[in-house]
Amino acid sequence: MRNAALAAKLRPRAAGRRLTRPERAELWLGALAVGLLALIAGMLVFVFRQAWPSFAHNGLSWFLPGGNANTQLADVYHSPADPAHYVYTLRAWPILYGTLLSTGLAVLFALPFSLLCALFMVEFAPPGIARLMTPTVRFLAAVPSVVYGLIGILVLAPWINDHLVSASFKLDVKPIVPIGGGGLLLATLILTVMIVPIMIAINADALRSVPRSWLEGSAALGVNRWRTWWKIGVRTARPAIAAGVVLATARALGEAIMLAMVSGSFIFAPNPLDGLNMLLEPIQPLAATIVVGAEGLSVKPYGQTLYAFAAVLLVSSMFLSIAGWAARQPMRRHGVR
Amino acid sequence: MDPLMPPPVRRISLDAPPTVVEPPANGNGAGAGAGRARAGAEPSPHAVERMRCEGVTIAYGPKIAVNRVDLSIRQGEVLALIGPSGCGKTTLLRSLNRLTELTPSAARGGRIALDGEDLDAIEVTELRTRVSMVFQQPNPFPMSVFDNVAYALREGASRRPRKPALAEPVERALRRAGLWDEVKDNLEHPALRLSGGQQQRLCIARSLAAQPEVLLMDEPCSALDPVSTTTIERLILELREQIAVVIVTHNLQQAQRVADRVAFMYLGELVEQGTSDEIFRAPRAPRTRDYVGGAFG
Repeated sequence: MRNAALAAKLRPRAAGRRLTRPERAELWLGALAVGLLALIAGMLVFVFRQAWPSFAHNGLSWFLPGGNANTQLADVYHSPADPAHYVYTLRAWPILYGTLLSTGLAVLFALPFSLLCALFMVEFAPPGIARLMTPTVRFLAAVPSVVYGLIGILVLAPWINDHLVSASFKLDVKPIVPIGGGGLLLATLILTVMIVPIMIAINADALRSVPRSWLEGSAALGVNRWRTWWKIGVRTARPAIAAGVVLATARALGEAIMLAMVSGSFIFAPNPLDGLNMLLEPIQPLAATIVVGAEGLSVKPYGQTLYAFAAVLLVSSMFLSIAGWAARQPMRRHGVR
Repeated sequence: MDPLMPPPVRRISLDAPPTVVEPPANGNGAGAGAGRARAGAEPSPHAVERMRCEGVTIAYGPKIAVNRVDLSIRQGEVLALIGPSGCGKTTLLRSLNRLTELTPSAARGGRIALDGEDLDAIEVTELRTRVSMVFQQPNPFPMSVFDNVAYALREGASRRPRKPALAEPVERALRRAGLWDEVKDNLEHPALRLSGGQQQRLCIARSLAAQPEVLLMDEPCSALDPVSTTTIERLILELREQIAVVIVTHNLQQAQRVADRVAFMYLGELVEQGTSDEIFRAPRAPRTRDYVGGAFG
């Protein structure tokens, strides 16, 4: 009896045996998973194929500074119709630098802030406040970023323009770059506001899942609450916190509309030599550049250039997942998750 | 005795060579209710009271877990709290270093004193370094063996000590917990990869490293194999001269093996306390007799 069942299992499918229901379900699930992988691979290949002319024409200098990226992009847009004379020249450094700066600064500010907020919510807040904070944070995390962008462009940008931008600075840089309130500062600020709620939610979940027995063990050794949470809680939750950072970074990287509204929409690399005024200078991050240029897709070389930006975004998100995985490794050695 | 007067405290440094009381291998140690299988059955004549509970009542919301318990904890002897599940032993034990305060709904009445000083008057972190606790489930931190033992030392120091300065106290604590020989070759080994018995001894070493004056043990052997249990019981006997040890246990044989004094709790009340021999040989209260005799539990 058992042998017969075994034989049926081992008989090749080609022999015309009907599949059992579980076997069919397995096949479907497998096909679905493989299909998903194929879809992602296909998308990657497609984007890179489209982007290739832009990269191939510029070589590695695509990633380097040189010239004015605004006029370069305009030249690409106004390429002659003859494919032999397409213009691809682009030095995308200011775009990459602006993306790096706004995303990096936003995550840098958001991480300690969200960690402390989460710690407060989980351990130190009175129960009433904690109960109120949790849904509030969830709601804030779900606010569409366009709303933030609208507030930014209608309220904050004029305020910055009136109160923070000095007239002399505005005049100084006028021939090179327009200053109008929107810029690195506003972009970073609103990005931070946008990603903090997600990071609080993730960090709070991470801290809540720290085993009670470790926290108690530390308390029983005479270590105060604050140090206990810092040395045991945050340390143990590090992988999840890193995952939260990755998620928030990915969201900040992919944010397009809101950044297009508040970043000043002028491709420029804020100059550290300008001191704090650097924060007022405009940027145009990758995703925002794609959005801004979306209406020019009918021009082939311009479209291909936008695909090149998309390719860079894809590669950076790939690196982000790898970084998230690497951040989990040291704790795995200790048997945490 | 006037509870406000601190008793004369005989502090023996942990650095002193341990006064080991090796149990002689006599034949009557097997089986429930058998005679005490170790020398030193008599409570130490040098026992000194360190902690004192007077009318201690602990409630979780409306539920009273510990009801008006009077108890004396003395250095030089091991006190075992016995009783069926849910009788309040663990709650009483946790109140001795104010760990009950981690439970928001818990409230305490009555007075607990350490060396005559009210527990509430002692700063809680200082109290917990003096009265340390080992839990039922081994709970080593997700760090290396070394970092686990050094944890309390590092946190207790006003300036972060350098690693070489910690090597010696860490080794001493591990030796005392009987773990040194097993881990000395790789102190960077992740603590969570140790076996259960090793983890529990690591937790004991972690507590001992801070040189506590009272050691509370909440069923320290309930998750362990017999060999590890024997090691820990021997360790408890070694410790009792230098540290007041309170052990909560379900296991009556274990209480007989390690305890000098035994307190029997039932439904939150302290039914009877006395020397180990009194409780196990000649219990006065009928409920004690039933419990010790195995009628319930």
